Amino acid sequence: MTLKEVYNSRSVEEVVGLLGEYGSEAKLISGGTDIVIELKNKKITPKILIDISKIEELKKIKEDENHIILGSGVTFTEITENPLFKGNLHGLHKACKMVGSPQIRNKGTIGGNIANGSSAADSIPPLIALGAIIKICSIEGTREIPLEDYYINKLKSNEIITEIKFEKLNKNQNLNFAKLGLRKALAISRLSIASLIELNEEGLIENVTISSGALGKYPMREKEVEEYLINKEINETTIEEAITVLQNSMDERLKGRSTLPYKRVAVSSILRENLKEFIKTRTEVRAW
Amino acid sequence: MVNISLIVNEKLFEVSVSENLRLIDLLRDELGLIGTKEGCGEGECGACTVIMDGETVNSCLVMAFQANGSNILTIEGMEKEGKIHPIQQAYIDVGAVQCGFCIPGMVLSTKALLDKKPHPSKDEIREGISGNLCRCTGYNKMIYAAEKAIEYMEEGK
Repeated sequence: MTLKEVYNSRSVEEVVGLLGEYGSEAKLISGGTDIVIELKNKKITPKILIDISKIEELKKIKEDENHIILGSGVTFTEITENPLFKGNLHGLHKACKMVGSPQIRNKGTIGGNIANGSSAADSIPPLIALGAIIKICSIEGTREIPLEDYYINKLKSNEIITEIKFEKLNKNQNLNFAKLGLRKALAISRLSIASLIELNEEGLIENVTISSGALGKYPMREKEVEEYLINKEINETTIEEAITVLQNSMDERLKGRSTLPYKRVAVSSILRENLKEFIKTRTEVRAW
Repeated sequence: MVNISLIVNEKLFEVSVSENLRLIDLLRDELGLIGTKEGCGEGECGACTVIMDGETVNSCLVMAFQANGSNILTIEGMEKEGKIHPIQQAYIDVGAVQCGFCIPGMVLSTKALLDKKPHPSKDEIREGISGNLCRCTGYNKMIYAAEKAIEYMEEGK
């Protein structure tokens, strides 16, 4: 490691000032679950490290009438223990519960999961499916961007993610998540899918967003599957058709990649597992 | 160097540490608390688990300066007045220890679980120790040990 100076920051204002001064020489650390390994292996060699894990304003989970707002420093454990993310937001709870291990969830943060930019980050597909907006601050001011655009418009060296915001769901909307890892604990996603579906009175899909993890260079919306599913009834036949649509769009995207034949097969069971939950929610009272 | 103060095993330490030091290095190399083990060094194995401000963390993934102001419990702090903790006694009594390398972390994960949830189900125990890898036992003995520890703590042993 090559650190010359470290800071225990107590406010976003202070962090923004430090980032403005040091720019690319500085890195932020919160849970440290990825960056400490990168520092140790000299994959990154910043001179300045700024700890943001004890900044109170980043640790809050807030709600107003229509939105839920997560501070970027909220840990996965804090999300899994919060009753807000049970019920129809269960998909976010499930994704956060599948992150790493208890130790990783105690430290790892939702903002870090975004900033780190991994294609396999567990919490991202559900947040993209929810249409989350992220708030980014720098000395130049504040900007808000949809999370799904983050991966093509990443953080500048003087910026910090401070909030992740999404609209509350209505009673006809449900968020689901399914992941394929190599084992139950401590497994990085091989692929994951989140889906947000709103059913109308007749049981047809009124609104749908589907988002995938590790099926491309970064987590993304699966718009072709969404277009197929809209106005359909969710049943075994439409689920199998949706799988074919997803596989076809993967064939294009992952052309020539050695993992394509595997992911093509694996994705079918993950999308099936994910969408079958909606058949259950359609026909019975939610048990969770 | 950076000056930090932290509580480890109920004792206050005021130390000057290198910016590049990790918490595990501080505990082992500076404070001499070598009960905490380094296994993989990347948060996969849980051998370096300590309890930091009430929650388990992998001490190989925390920078020492981040522990400024924190309260840390390592395996050495489990002993009270010359007597080992009921969780440790239970691990011994059911034979949950083979090579022993994972045990400090395993015991602290068990403690953090029982502090939060005194009567966990078997599945909750499994999940509680899911961040600690053991290549000897197959884990069942640790689950029995946790159950035995609950009995011991209720009996006040």
